[in-house]
Amino acid sequence: MSVKVQIPLPLRGSTGGLSEVEARGSNIREIIGDLEASYPGIRERLFRGDEELNRFVSIFVGGRDIRLLEGLETTVREGDEITILPLAAGG
Amino acid sequence: MQSHTDRYSRQIIFPCIGRAGQAKLGKSTVVIIGCGALGTVAAACLARAGIGRLRIVDRDFIEYHNLQRQILFDEDDVRNQIPKAIAAERHLRKANSSIEIEGIVADVNYRTIERLVAGADVILDGVDNLETRYLINDVSLKHRVPWVYGAAVSSDGMTMNIIPGRTPCICCLFPHMPASGRVPTCDTAGVVSSAPFVIGALQSVETIKILVGAEDVNRGLITIDVWTGAFQRLQIGDSPSPDCPACQGKYEFLDARFGARTTSLCGQNAVQVVIPGDTELSFEELARRFQEIGQVSYNEFMLRFAVDGYEMVLFPDGRAIVKGTNDESVAKGLYAKYVGM
Repeated sequence: MSVKVQIPLPLRGSTGGLSEVEARGSNIREIIGDLEASYPGIRERLFRGDEELNRFVSIFVGGRDIRLLEGLETTVREGDEITILPLAAGG
Repeated sequence: MQSHTDRYSRQIIFPCIGRAGQAKLGKSTVVIIGCGALGTVAAACLARAGIGRLRIVDRDFIEYHNLQRQILFDEDDVRNQIPKAIAAERHLRKANSSIEIEGIVADVNYRTIERLVAGADVILDGVDNLETRYLINDVSLKHRVPWVYGAAVSSDGMTMNIIPGRTPCICCLFPHMPASGRVPTCDTAGVVSSAPFVIGALQSVETIKILVGAEDVNRGLITIDVWTGAFQRLQIGDSPSPDCPACQGKYEFLDARFGARTTSLCGQNAVQVVIPGDTELSFEELARRFQEIGQVSYNEFMLRFAVDGYEMVLFPDGRAIVKGTNDESVAKGLYAKYVGM
C-alpha cells in the first residue's frame, strides 16, 4: 500500500526538507517503519521507546485522528493521506 | 456628518450575526494573550467588530523585525520604545473609540494568569510559546472559559477552539509538550506574514461565532500552509478525552508542577532558566538554526549563542543561563523565542 505522508516542519530535517513523502505499509506502524528506512532518524522523533507514540504528536489518516481509530494499528488504504502533526508554537 | 451607529451595519446585514449577535458582541469581553502577529490581527478584527471590552496582554516591546507582520505597529512605536500592549491600545482606539480597550504590559504565568483573564467570555491565544498555551488551557478549563488556540510559524499555521466540557482540549490532543529545542519558532524558522494573518483572522471569526452562540463553531483542528495553499480540517473527536488529566481537573501548569523555572543569579546580571522533564538538546541542530541569526559556538558540554545583545549559555539538559539581564521574564522570553518551550 502506498500512501502520501505530510511531514511537519520539525521533522523536515530528516526528509531533506520535503513536506510530503511517499511511504508503504498496511498500517501506521508499518508506515513509520518504512519512513525510518527511507529517512533515518524520523522514528526516534515520533516514538517514545519502541511501542508508544510520543505524546506531543498526533497522526491523522484521511483527516481523522488515529486515536479515534485503531491507533498505530489503524489500517491504511492505497492513496490515503497521512498527516503527522506536532503542536505548533509561534505567534 | 457620518454617524457611529452605522459602524457595524455591514456586519449586522450578515444574517449569522444580525442585530442580536451584534448586541451580544457589544456586551462581551475578550482577552487576547500575546500581541505579536496573531494578536495584532485578532485585536484589529475584534476591535473593529465591536467587541465591548478588549483586554490585550503582552510583555514585549516592538522591534523593527516585528513590523514585517505585526500590523498594528509602526516605526514611531519602535523609536519611542512603546510596549506592544500599549501601542495596540493606542492604535485601536483610533479605529474604534466606542469600545473599551485595555492594554496590559505583563508576563503571563501561573501567578498572574487568573487575574489577567478575569471576566473573559473568550480567551484568544496570540502567544509565541507552548508553555503559556498549556497554562491558558488550564485556566480555561478551570474557569469554563472557551479559548481559541492559534499558532503560526514558517508558512504553516493551525487553530482550534477549546470549549470546556464540550470539545477536546490541547492536553487531550497533545498530552505532553514537545521537548524544548525541538519546536520551530518564528525567530529560528522564520515566518511569512500571511500565515499568522490567516490564522489570526480564523481565530477572530471563531471568537465571534462563540460569542454570538453560533451552532457551527469549528470543532476540528484547522491546518494551513499558505505557501503551498494546502488547507485541512482534521477531525479530533467530539468530546474531551476521558484520560485527559486537565479535563479531569488536574491543572499541572496552573499549579506550577510543570513549566520553566527562572532564577535571577544575584549580582551576575544573568538569569537561569530550568526546563522540567527529560530534555536532551541537540547542539548540532540548534547551532545550525542559530548561525543564521547570531554568533554560536559549542562543545559537548555547552553551547554559547549571542543574540540581541544577550548571551545564552545552553546545557544538554535544556538548562540555560541568559546573560545580560536580571529580568526573569526577559530571559524566559529569549528562551521561548530561540530554543522554544
